[in-house]
Amino acid sequence: MSHIEQEERKRFFNDELDISETSLNFKSENKESFLFSNSNNDGDAVSVSETPEEEGHESVLQLAEEIGEGDQDQFIEELRRIIPEIPMSLAVELNKKFGSQEEGLSLALSHYFDHYNGKSSSNIPSSPNQVNTLSDTSSSILSPSPSLVRKRKDYGFRNQTRLEDTFAWKRFIGAMQVTGMATRPTVRPLKYGSQLKLKRSSEEISATKVYDSRGRKKASMASLVRIHDVQYNREIGRVPEDIAQILYPLLSSNEISFEVTLIFCDNKRLSIGDSFILQLDCFLTSANFGGSYSDDQSFMKRRRTERENKREKDSVNFGRPLTETDEELESRSKRLALLKLFDKLKLKPILDEQKALEKHKIELSSDPEIINIDDDDICPDQVTEVIHDFRDTQHEEETMNLNQLKTFYKAAQSSDSLKNLPETEPSRDVFKLELRNYQKQGLTWMLRREQEFAKTASDDENLETDVNMINPLWKQFKWPSDMSWAAQKIQQDHVNPEDDVFFYANLHSGEFSLEKPILKTMVRGGILSDEMGLGKTVAAYSLILSCPSDSGAADKNLFDVKDTEVPGNVSSSFISSSLGNKKPYASKTTLVVVPMSLLTQWSNEFTKANNSSDMNHEVYYGGNVSSLKTLLTKTKNPPAVVLTTYGIVQNEWTKHTKGRMTDEDVSVSSGLFSVDFYRIIIDEGHNIRNRTTVTSKAVMDLQGKCKWVLTGTPIINRLDDLYSLVKFLKLDPWSQINYWKTFVSTPFENKNYKQAFDVVNAILEPVLLRRTKQMKDKDGMPLVELPPKEVVIKKLPFSKSQNVLYKFLLDKAEVSVKSGIARGDLLKKYSTILVHILRLRQVCCHPGLIGTQDENDEDLSKSNKLVTEQTVELDSLIRVASERFDNSFSKEELEATIEKLRTKYPDNKSLQSLECSICTAEPIDLNKALFTECGHSFCEKCLFEYIDFQNGKKLCLKCPNCRDSIDGGRLLALGRQRSDSERLEFKPYSSASKSSKITALLKELQLLQDSSAGEQVVIFSQFSSYLDILQRELTHAFPDDVAKIYKFDGRLSLKERTNVLADFAVKDYSRQKILLLSLKAGGVGLNLTCASHAYMMDPWWSPSMEDQAIDRLHRIGQTSSVKVIRFIVQNSIEEKMLRIQEKKRTIGEAMDADEDERRKRRIEEIQMLFE
Amino acid sequence: MASLPKRIIKETEKLVSDPVPGITAEPHDDNLRYFQVTIEGPEQSPYEDGVFELELYLPDDYPMEAPKVRFLTRIYHPNIDRLGRICLDVLKTNWSPALQIRTVLLSIQALLASPNPNDPLANDVAEDWIKNEEGAKAKAREWTRSFAKKKPE
Repeated sequence: MSHIEQEERKRFFNDELDISETSLNFKSENKESFLFSNSNNDGDAVSVSETPEEEGHESVLQLAEEIGEGDQDQFIEELRRIIPEIPMSLAVELNKKFGSQEEGLSLALSHYFDHYNGKSSSNIPSSPNQVNTLSDTSSSILSPSPSLVRKRKDYGFRNQTRLEDTFAWKRFIGAMQVTGMATRPTVRPLKYGSQLKLKRSSEEISATKVYDSRGRKKASMASLVRIHDVQYNREIGRVPEDIAQILYPLLSSNEISFEVTLIFCDNKRLSIGDSFILQLDCFLTSANFGGSYSDDQSFMKRRRTERENKREKDSVNFGRPLTETDEELESRSKRLALLKLFDKLKLKPILDEQKALEKHKIELSSDPEIINIDDDDICPDQVTEVIHDFRDTQHEEETMNLNQLKTFYKAAQSSDSLKNLPETEPSRDVFKLELRNYQKQGLTWMLRREQEFAKTASDDENLETDVNMINPLWKQFKWPSDMSWAAQKIQQDHVNPEDDVFFYANLHSGEFSLEKPILKTMVRGGILSDEMGLGKTVAAYSLILSCPSDSGAADKNLFDVKDTEVPGNVSSSFISSSLGNKKPYASKTTLVVVPMSLLTQWSNEFTKANNSSDMNHEVYYGGNVSSLKTLLTKTKNPPAVVLTTYGIVQNEWTKHTKGRMTDEDVSVSSGLFSVDFYRIIIDEGHNIRNRTTVTSKAVMDLQGKCKWVLTGTPIINRLDDLYSLVKFLKLDPWSQINYWKTFVSTPFENKNYKQAFDVVNAILEPVLLRRTKQMKDKDGMPLVELPPKEVVIKKLPFSKSQNVLYKFLLDKAEVSVKSGIARGDLLKKYSTILVHILRLRQVCCHPGLIGTQDENDEDLSKSNKLVTEQTVELDSLIRVASERFDNSFSKEELEATIEKLRTKYPDNKSLQSLECSICTAEPIDLNKALFTECGHSFCEKCLFEYIDFQNGKKLCLKCPNCRDSIDGGRLLALGRQRSDSERLEFKPYSSASKSSKITALLKELQLLQDSSAGEQVVIFSQFSSYLDILQRELTHAFPDDVAKIYKFDGRLSLKERTNVLADFAVKDYSRQKILLLSLKAGGVGLNLTCASHAYMMDPWWSPSMEDQAIDRLHRIGQTSSVKVIRFIVQNSIEEKMLRIQEKKRTIGEAMDADEDERRKRRIEEIQMLFE
Repeated sequence: MASLPKRIIKETEKLVSDPVPGITAEPHDDNLRYFQVTIEGPEQSPYEDGVFELELYLPDDYPMEAPKVRFLTRIYHPNIDRLGRICLDVLKTNWSPALQIRTVLLSIQALLASPNPNDPLANDVAEDWIKNEEGAKAKAREWTRSFAKKKPE
């Protein structure tokens, strides 16, 4: 350490103390840098002293002490590992605030990113400068060919090299005109073309004096940058402030070299204050490109050694860590200066490499450009925009329609490259099914992703294409042709060698590279995101069966721990610690995690696809395997596929976490978490989209070499849904939450959609494969041809009783909403309003739904109490309504009519020849027989069809048999006969339980029975209680030999589900098979191609949910055209829901970037519902 | 064509298996809702010995809606116009779903037996019928001879 530096530090220290008293902001800066020096210190045993008590005005010294002596609070440790740039004070503060809470870390993180991150990024790209710190824990390397890049963050090294002014070469990047101002008179005029020098003020000034805590300069820099005369080495002038701001930070290093030439001074002696014009040629030096470090090995090693160095240094320099502040500040200001310089020099990133190359060739052959002085600064704004592209919102993008979300998939995989994928045909020995062409291409892609190139179809193209992606944080620049003074003067045509046209810069971190910074992912696996119905299951099996076991692991020790596994990874920390990270490697087994409803389907598909007797599969569900570990690693022929459900994974994980505390559990020590799988596939991967759920956490902790996500909808609501998938795949560095936040979430929230999507695209392009049904193959044929699909919306009127109830409930709801809006506390009553809305929706379906606690309904678990509270009142209302409309008999009339009927039908025998004159059925099913006042009998269905028809045509109602007038409210049905009496019992018929939807459904089903026998039918509803009612009504309406009714909802056990689906699929031409399907339990994954008719009983908020449901029928394997009827009640909340669905379809739900906005959106929806 | 309700099938079967005397009704091969009908002129009526051809069509809403029936053979009758359209209450306002093809055809046969000139469809015929019943009946007989088929002996 030189004397000067020590000197400087001393003074600096004093400054610190001065400033810290006045500026709190500043202090945090100190701590940050301090932290940085200390952050590599983890693992050092440090004695724990007292808990730090952070107060706003605490002095830096104290802080330093307290941190230095190392309260190595785990929480702070973790926090700092995740956000290395977090100031220590803040970390301590956050610890105080959140440390004791359960989800404290994530709370703290979100708090940090909400409140602090934005600030620091306002000036300087915030965390990218921490890239390198992060990536040393990653298994995939994000680095521009490490050997050629000089890491700007190697402070320890730079300290040594900083004073050396040597570099191997330098290369011109641009020139600018600068007006200087003379600070001392000259004896004679300065000569045109005379060389000058730029120097930093000889007086060394600490960075902290120059910059404030946020990296903004405090002092005027113009006074710190001097123009020197080469001959006498005397100061002759200064440069303007804006130029000085750029030059000052850059002058201290050898990364940028400047040459200054006088080009105009009016040919006279300069007096103080006179201006003269300079040409400032700027060069990038080899120092940037790691010239002096070219012998360095891998980046990872560098980091490690550096870390060790740091440790030593820290232990030596303990207590004086403040020098780092200087470094940190300087490096920041340097980055900023670099950005500005690029801006000034109009160096723009190249977007299209090919074009640029061509242009370059033309330039080479033509005359060198002539610098047009007037051209300077003509459009500085535009330049700024390009350079700052990464950080600033592009205005034209602000209004971007969020349909972008849909198109983003398309962009994620350019269809051209898809078409050119060769097809790999799985061997007949192992795979029985015939794959479609696109599935074969998919197999090629998947095998490549697993780096099983030997098994893929050969291809002339470069196999590496899919990993040859430029890192999105880097920008490509073209070397400008040399226009520097020196070059011009020599009149030498400086011809750039062809292979050296471009250089690359990461303007976030200030790194440079000559080689293309390839985003190399070491992740094996990816996201197969083919649209629903394109056969993802089959694709997965083709992969599994083609490559059932890790070929590389055959000769390896089973207990070999992969070296890519980094101990101490936050997400898997407890697993690693509890098991010592020594899990046996199940090299021959693929774990498939699926939703429970799909377990059987997967199992069946395996049997269908597998053609090898050596391969078997195991359903790991319900404790049928005692020790998975033994089965997979100790037996001779372990199952190639283990199927399990999200529930099981979650369950074992929970036990696992607890098991650590208590004692070893059998399933814990030998279950899913006890082995390291060869491959893990999660089906319907969007199940883990919320990373805070237990399921998601559990799935993340499964260990495997290759990881695959199958999902038709990688994004359900938010862009952040993708993060969980990325995290599952361990797609570093993006699986680090702060990385993701900085480059995706934050820009997105700031409405900088272009950037967010660009980055997401770049992240996903190599790992995501998505084909849609509309895509064409290379011959222009659509990938899949499905029979047409017709969706009809059938609008129905309310039945009378429904109408009364609806009006009543609507009034109540409107009052509630309006008062809420008036008082402005609509949000507080959110759940109440949801109940209101639910009620209205229920009435549309069936009045009997009200008050049933439908466990499947959304958002209402909390408000169930409310539902029950109001039920009593409603019950009476329902009764009143039904009495008023369903029965207009007076007591006397009723008795008289019953007496009349008893005379006509004295006993059971008299009923046997009863014929319905409308459908000519004979005898009438007595359960459904209705009797008119005139004593004639009809089927319930026929009579109501007649009544509806007559009412519809406004014709009077007459008994079809005797033409006496009849009344829908004056009908009788048979009651339960007393066992001791021959006498028939009649009771007034009540249609209170009838809803217009059920009537319409019955009619549709009847029509279908008549027209096409044996046609299977699926009926969807989101209310499982509605399914119950439907089941009752259908059973009632159709005898057993006409229709068989199945019900599939969340209450079924796995076995029951399997049976129901298997039985339903069998064609029966004598009976109509009807499947009542709960939208939530069976809306995804199921394959119901045996049916081609579906009825949607009630609308769902999100149209995509309904589409998913329809796609259960409309998918590969469907042979006939699909007809769907959606029942909607006219002039009801359902019609408005349709409008909301329409709106959602156009803007997309992804707009709702944060929770607040989502709520706001929902309030808008509520208002829309009641307007 | 949509579905064929059970009732239509049942009726058709019965018309074939247990035909009404003097009436035949056969569904068309291509359209089971379309029937070719013949009605023999009732005895003691001007239409005696003639066999009249009719067409009958069951609309989609049948049996809620009445079948559509029309004479194909020209007939001189106050309730049947030149186009063969029939004025009969059960085909219009007095339709009831309890009625069937069979009953409708019987009603038409009855209408031949007892024309109702007071509720005419063919006004000129009705006028003729009221003014000169014998002359009208003679004309009806004349028409029957020339247009209707002979009743097989």
